[in-house]
Parts: sequence; C-alpha cells; structure tokens
Amino acid sequence: MPIVVNLDVMMAKRKISAGDLAARIGITPANLSILKNNKARAVRFSTLEALCRELDCQPADLLEYVPEE
Amino acid sequence: MNWSSKNSIRLSRLCVVLFGAAALAILASAPWLVEALVAFSPIPLENRAGSLLMVTLYTGGVPALYILWQLWRLLENIQGGQVFIPQNVGLLRRISWGCAVGAVICLASGLYYLPFLVIAACGAFMALIVRVVKNVFQQAVLLQEDADYTI
Repeated sequence: MPIVVNLDVMMAKRKISAGDLAARIGITPANLSILKNNKARAVRFSTLEALCRELDCQPADLLEYVPEE
Repeated sequence: MNWSSKNSIRLSRLCVVLFGAAALAILASAPWLVEALVAFSPIPLENRAGSLLMVTLYTGGVPALYILWQLWRLLENIQGGQVFIPQNVGLLRRISWGCAVGAVICLASGLYYLPFLVIAACGAFMALIVRVVKNVFQQAVLLQEDADYTI
C-alpha cells in the first residue's frame, strides 16, 4: 500500500500511549494497532478527525504517499 | 411466537439431522425398498434393474451424506457468528460439487430407469444455485475484510 500512516511518529512526538489515544478517539486498541501497523484498508473521516483533534495535527502529518517501486 | 434467527438456525440443523437419519434409513433398508419398487413400479423394469437400483442408491448415498455433513458444518459456523469467512465459501463449493456428483449418478441411472433423469435435472439445478450463492459469499468475504480493516 503506497499510503503510509505515520501515527507512531506523531504519537511519539505528542508522548501519548496507544491505549490512551484509543480511549480518547473512541476506538479499540486492536483497531488502533491495525492503523499504526499500516494494515488498514481505509480510514473513516470521523477517525481521522478524532486523531487530528487529539494529536493536534493535520491529516498530512499522519498520512504520506510513498510510490511503490 | 417469538421467532429469532437463532431458532431458525436450530430448525435448519434439525432438518439436516432428519435428512441424515432418513438417508441412513434408506441406505439401511435399500434391499427391501428396491424389491418393493421393482414389484410395484408403474414403469416396466428390466431383470437386472434391481441390482442397478441398489448401485444407484449406495453410490448416491455417498454425496448425499457428504452434502449433509458440509451443511451441518456451515450451519455450525453461521450459528457461531462466522458467516462471511473463506471456510464457508469452501463448504458451499463442496456442497455444489456434491450436488453435481449426485446429478451425474442420477443421469447415468436414467439409462435404465427414466424417472432418475428428473432427479438428475433437479440435482444439476441445485448445484448451479449453490454455486451462485458461493460466488455471492466469495464477494461478501472481500467486503467483510474491507469493513474489518476500515478504522
């Protein structure tokens, strides 16, 4: 998948744990793990909005396009 | 009466058990059934029709019991809340092939007893229907995976 989710980078910058972030945005830690490990096939706008709100960032800070070789 | 989907699955499983019991009873009493059919058949039968009917019953019993076993496993999965999973697609594929095998056996049996051709047509049609359901399940599995990985 050429879209990479840089959630772990942002979480490290904001010094927030996975469990804490999952609780704040209202998803399960298992689903947050899927997102963090780039296993997700799609991200809902509502999830993206909650992530941006809690991590105080822009969608572009979380998502990156890396062309496939 | 408060009828839930759980009761519906229980009823389906009960029907599978009843069909299984009926199939086993028919196979166990095949010699007497064949004797009665040969004696009272409205269509004149050849001399060796009795033994051919026995062959049809016993060979046809194998796919019939196999299909019922696969149906039982499918219903077990559905009852456990696992509906759109690759395993169920495999079960439906095997059920479809079981119907096709039954249809071929009946088609061959139609050579000595014409009414078997009707059962062969029904079996082939059933195989086609189950195959289409299998194709739907196959697509549903992909949609389910998409839904599971949409966060």
